[in-house]
Amino acid sequence: MKKITKIGFLLCASVLTFSGCSDNFLDEPVPTEAVAESVVFGSRIGVEAFISGIQRRARAQFERTDAGGVNSLYFARTIKGNDLIHANSWWSFDYANDNREPTYTRTIFSWEFPYYVINQTNTLINGIEVSGLSEIDKVELSAQGKALRAFYYFQLAQEFQLTYAKDPDAVAPPIYTELSLTGNPMSTLREMYKLIVDDLTFAVENLGTDRLGKSYVNVDVANGLLARVYLVMENWSGAEVAARNAYGGDVNASLAPSAYKDGFSDISNPEWIWGLPQTADQSNYYYNAPSAFVDPINPAYNNIYVNKFFSDTFTETDVRNTFRQNPSGVTDFRQIQSTKFVFAFDSDIVLMRTPEMILMEAEAKFRQGDEPGARTLLYALQLNRDTAAVASNNGGSALEEEILLERRKEMYGEFGVEWFDARRLQRGITRTANHRIVLTLEPNDKRFYLKVPQKEIDANDNIDDSVNANR
Amino acid sequence: MAFVMQISLAQEKTVSGTVTSISDGLPLPGVNVIVKGTTRGVQTDFDGNYSINVSVGETLSFSFVSMSKKEIVVGASNIINVALEEDVAALDEVIVVAYGTQTAKSLVGSVTSLSAETIEKQQVTTVTSAIQGTVAGVNVITSGGQPGENPTIRIRGIGSINASAGPLIVLDGVPFNGNINSISGDQIESMNVLKDASSTALYGSRAANGVILITTKKGALNSKPTLQLTAVTGFSEPAVDLHKTIGTNDFMRYSWEAERNNQLYVGNLTPAAAAAAASQNLIPTLGYNPYGTLAQPVDANGNLLPGANLLWETDWKDAILRKAALRSEYSLSLSGGGTNTRYFLSANYLNQEGSVKESDFERITTRLNLESSINEWLTVGLNSSLSNSKQNFPEQSGNTYQSSIQWIYSMSSVYPLYRRNTNGGLILDDFGNTIYDYGSTPEQAQNGTRPLFGNENAAGSLYNYETLNNRTAVTANGFANIDFTDDLSFRSTVSYENYLFDGYEYNAYNIGSASSVGGRVSQDRDITTTLNFTNAFNYDKTFGDHAINATGIFETYQFKIDAMGAQGTGFLPGVGVLNGSTTPEEVSGYINEERLTSYLGRLGYNFKEKYYVEGSFRRDGSSRFAKESRWGNFYSVGGTWIASSESFLENSTWLDFLKFRVSYGELGNNKTLNDDNDDVYFPYLQLFETGWNELGNTGVLLGGVTDPNLSWETSALFNVGMDFTLFNNTIEGSVEYYNKESVDLIYQKPLPISTGNDGITTNVGSISNKGVEVALLGRIIKGNNISWSAGLNFAFTTNEITELTQESFIKGTKRWEVGRSLYDFYIREWAGVDPVDGYGMWYKDVLDTDGEPTGERETTKSYADAERYYQGSSLPDVTGGFNTDLKVGNFDFNMLFNFSLGSQIYDSSYAGLMDGFSNPGYQASPDISRRWQQPGDVTDIPLLLNSQNDFNGTSTRFLFDNDYLRMRAITLGYTLPSNATKSLFIEKVRIYLRGDNLLTWSSHKGLDPEQNVAGTTDSRSSIMKTVSFGLNVKF
Repeated sequence: MKKITKIGFLLCASVLTFSGCSDNFLDEPVPTEAVAESVVFGSRIGVEAFISGIQRRARAQFERTDAGGVNSLYFARTIKGNDLIHANSWWSFDYANDNREPTYTRTIFSWEFPYYVINQTNTLINGIEVSGLSEIDKVELSAQGKALRAFYYFQLAQEFQLTYAKDPDAVAPPIYTELSLTGNPMSTLREMYKLIVDDLTFAVENLGTDRLGKSYVNVDVANGLLARVYLVMENWSGAEVAARNAYGGDVNASLAPSAYKDGFSDISNPEWIWGLPQTADQSNYYYNAPSAFVDPINPAYNNIYVNKFFSDTFTETDVRNTFRQNPSGVTDFRQIQSTKFVFAFDSDIVLMRTPEMILMEAEAKFRQGDEPGARTLLYALQLNRDTAAVASNNGGSALEEEILLERRKEMYGEFGVEWFDARRLQRGITRTANHRIVLTLEPNDKRFYLKVPQKEIDANDNIDDSVNANR
Repeated sequence: MAFVMQISLAQEKTVSGTVTSISDGLPLPGVNVIVKGTTRGVQTDFDGNYSINVSVGETLSFSFVSMSKKEIVVGASNIINVALEEDVAALDEVIVVAYGTQTAKSLVGSVTSLSAETIEKQQVTTVTSAIQGTVAGVNVITSGGQPGENPTIRIRGIGSINASAGPLIVLDGVPFNGNINSISGDQIESMNVLKDASSTALYGSRAANGVILITTKKGALNSKPTLQLTAVTGFSEPAVDLHKTIGTNDFMRYSWEAERNNQLYVGNLTPAAAAAAASQNLIPTLGYNPYGTLAQPVDANGNLLPGANLLWETDWKDAILRKAALRSEYSLSLSGGGTNTRYFLSANYLNQEGSVKESDFERITTRLNLESSINEWLTVGLNSSLSNSKQNFPEQSGNTYQSSIQWIYSMSSVYPLYRRNTNGGLILDDFGNTIYDYGSTPEQAQNGTRPLFGNENAAGSLYNYETLNNRTAVTANGFANIDFTDDLSFRSTVSYENYLFDGYEYNAYNIGSASSVGGRVSQDRDITTTLNFTNAFNYDKTFGDHAINATGIFETYQFKIDAMGAQGTGFLPGVGVLNGSTTPEEVSGYINEERLTSYLGRLGYNFKEKYYVEGSFRRDGSSRFAKESRWGNFYSVGGTWIASSESFLENSTWLDFLKFRVSYGELGNNKTLNDDNDDVYFPYLQLFETGWNELGNTGVLLGGVTDPNLSWETSALFNVGMDFTLFNNTIEGSVEYYNKESVDLIYQKPLPISTGNDGITTNVGSISNKGVEVALLGRIIKGNNISWSAGLNFAFTTNEITELTQESFIKGTKRWEVGRSLYDFYIREWAGVDPVDGYGMWYKDVLDTDGEPTGERETTKSYADAERYYQGSSLPDVTGGFNTDLKVGNFDFNMLFNFSLGSQIYDSSYAGLMDGFSNPGYQASPDISRRWQQPGDVTDIPLLLNSQNDFNGTSTRFLFDNDYLRMRAITLGYTLPSNATKSLFIEKVRIYLRGDNLLTWSSHKGLDPEQNVAGTTDSRSSIMKTVSFGLNVKF
């Protein structure tokens, strides 16, 4: 009996001892899948990891196959135009130009995805600000963050309102520069473009050419973005300088015509200023617009064809002529295919190239009345692409049309150049009759922008249903 | 303190006898024979015999599970034979409760007990399924027909949102973290559902949504070894038919019409031009031509050309679903016991095929329960089990391309099962075999590329892909019990559970989604371990009319999941292990831990076994919350009054038993979940997620925004109940009312997506669930040779949001606001079709000059402008079940039904079938024959239109009543006469024919009525109906 009492005491004692350490016991589990803020902002390497993550997110799967990254945002613009024709499957509603209602995928994705990244960049910029990093590191890393933030605000400005030149005071999506748990009211295009220009100017002033890889922002990328923004704002002199700085001013040195036929799948292409790299283990798989859709050979969706009237504008000797007849011999809208983009899980995705910079500089010169300068640049590019090219000597609107066509010929399928130009120049898009869906977008057509997602309205006290009235 | 060894008094003698059962006269082994007021006692042996030393004048008490206790004062006779009556009210039945056992009579809380007998009446792969229709107030939903998947269980409404709303499952006294499908039904002694605060409070922070206590079988002391063998074999098919779909010729005509309408009404062509364009575009749009080389099989009048002969017409359902799935289950158990040791050993094997071809579930599970009294004061025991299951799980819900049911509902019969050349002829491989068509042969213009689900074939993928879940679980649960005195004891329990989940996926090297990279294998191995350590002191004492019992417990709980995964591509034919991979694609791994420290106690008192009061308290500290907010206190108080023991009722001729009970308590819930219903172990920490690497550079991203002050959600439960037995045990029943108020809900509050976060998990608002539960049992005939009983249970439940921090939230098809239920549909209201142009319409509010609704409504053709309104609820008003048991001679017959009334379901599968060809190539319902065709047509089905439209957007057009009644089980059995079997040394042979889920009556056809709590569909396969034959032999 004594023994039992002893055992009892022992048990009581052990139980009490155990309970004494219970708070330590509860403190022990810590997360292993994630790291704390102090790790991220504690060193330059930590901040760079954050920038890498944001960059990776740019091409990651987000919502669904046609809503998965910057490339989806771009390809939806491409397929709204006249140059490519959609046969079936993904992108059909973008092709019909009616994917814009408050509950539709495009509407939600084009809103949610940029804002998702903007919140990341705000955290990055503000985190760097209060970190213990050196001033040199702070400025350079922050410049990358600001360039990215500007890039995504620029996408919102284009998707949710008509162009800046139409009405700078038109209502634009809300602006956030820090983490917020409540929704901000709608802003104006003027406010949004001010932030964009401020951010990009800061980036241009504080970035060098060095970077961790071609998917990161350096001074060339920042200049290229600024040139695009100025083109939309019709700041022609600003666009001219930024574009020239982005490619360096030497046309032939910045081009590599032989690489054009390489399938647009390799970021090391010297013409690429900015892109999204992929590898077998870092792939967005079938979310890879444009290649998973445009490539007619490698099994994927293979559902996009080329408008014959567009492919007919390419000469046989043009390195950019990557078209072929549909091997089946059909002569309907599926007649012409393009092999510009080659699909594989590790195909890289292009975001910005030097020829665009050259053509932006040419256009900016033209807009400022320097037609000879514009012609010289334009012909230099044309000759680089087609050794049999002949200078046109066009002037006035014929020269303008020639520049714009050259932009489409050079960059179709990449970022929606046709749509981008039609919007900013308030020109509209008219599809030819061989399209599966024939339609005309009038200048400043409502179909050039989207309604505000219902999800946003439902949760944002500062935005109500009236925001979509007459949208 | 005195350790008592009772000293024998004078006049002691040995009394012996036989205990039998009144109903069949058979001897009862294992009956407890105890000298009342002492600890002296024995058990009857296998033949029902006992022998015990007693003194004249002492009282012998005979008790046995589910028999009425009988007490006999020892007189002159040395032989006392006793016949026990089956105790239908089973008031002295010992019920397993939280951290102990209590008699049914003394229960203060609301506990429904399912016996092994009830469980065995159903053929369940997952034991918790047996609760459906048998326990009032518990809503059980089995989603889909993949065997080995576990049902969703909601006890007394829905009390949580972003924390688990499911009950805590406790196996032999220990919280269970494995997969419940690893336990077979034949190993279970009882399954008790604890519904109110009084019964669950001791589980504190995990008890808010109820507790299910599962107790496995044990042997009986002093019984000879009993060997039992059961074999059941049967065939299954889906319990409910799918929606009907159309054939190819109809499909072509309708598709033509949709394109014609598009050209005519959207493209504004002339009728003739529109018709011509439709004829011309039809085949190019579909990409395939089932009529061979006929370029325009549908003419400009929308008719099939004469001579248009189908080269194929694919029946996808036939290609994907099984006609008869085999199910067989065998089990073997051995149980028995000596004077000090008892044992139960069991093995069970199950192999069940699912409704989708190739799907199956194979399980082997064994259990050994052993308990031994080493001496007067020490008892030790071990419950252990080992189980392994393999589940072949082809996708059969959701929207991945190969998802079976989605495929049947999406893929038109125009698309062939096997590859066809441009002219429609079969393409064969070098061996002359057909090749599955994956709709992605871009080099081939016709019959090469499908407009939907490119590079996939759900039928082919059943064979070309593999999805295997392999689960191994080991549990060991050991205890030592020390009796310090008669009154005071200490019990220490350590349990260890190790659960290995191995998920394996293979995609073919030569065809389908991974063919471009030579095939893909991905494998996940998650090891989950749970270590639970409980130390309990129990004190039980009776002083005259007063009795008290007290329990004090300290407990720690440690849970750990250690996950690892790898994925690679590039495999040779026939190679399906990662070693054969050419390119590694992914490696992953993490460890998550959760801990809980708890102090708990229970104090009970009763007076004359007539008035009972009981209180429980638990203090929990959880590692899921920050240091400042991690401790929570939970408690309950309750009382019981046995009214029938009062003098004024004691002599009632019709009232056998009447009991009232009431309880109140506050419980917690810490089981934070994310949107995918996965546990979140550190919901309060703002972190950066790893794994977002950019080529060789490490990458991290900011995770979702968090609330550092996140803490417990609390449920306050009030319960009042009445139990009664009438007319000499002919009618038995109980009625209960409860009110459960859950506050500080753990909820992901939606944020405007422009903030970059779509929500923040915080403690917001409260919900109230109220209900009435009724259970009745009638023993209509109680003869020795014939007996018949029937039971009915039902529950009314209401769910109401009582507090929110903002006016309303919209969540999918629901909107939450104060005064409404969590599960009220809030969607647009369909207003039919405009006879003028065939477009669909919805309602919207008429606004006055201030922009406020006037209360009137008007129709609109703009889906975006249409207003959303509340439209019914996905929660049923009443659920329940009824059953009947009939025994005539050696025959036994029973039936069990369950029902659910008053809920609505949104059928998105049907919505897809009624799309009206806005997406070319998608399958359709024959109901579209009633579509609008020309101005003036009055119908509720819009025109067919190959152009984006909202006609099948979420609205009441596809919201249906979801009442149903299901015959869950029907069994006819026959027991061979015992004199025939005894000569073969077999104690009992029973054969039976059984049907499970044979009949389902539901208000909405084409869909299994059991989908999910939210009342939405997800292309799920149907649960199965099974007819089987069984044999049970007992040696």
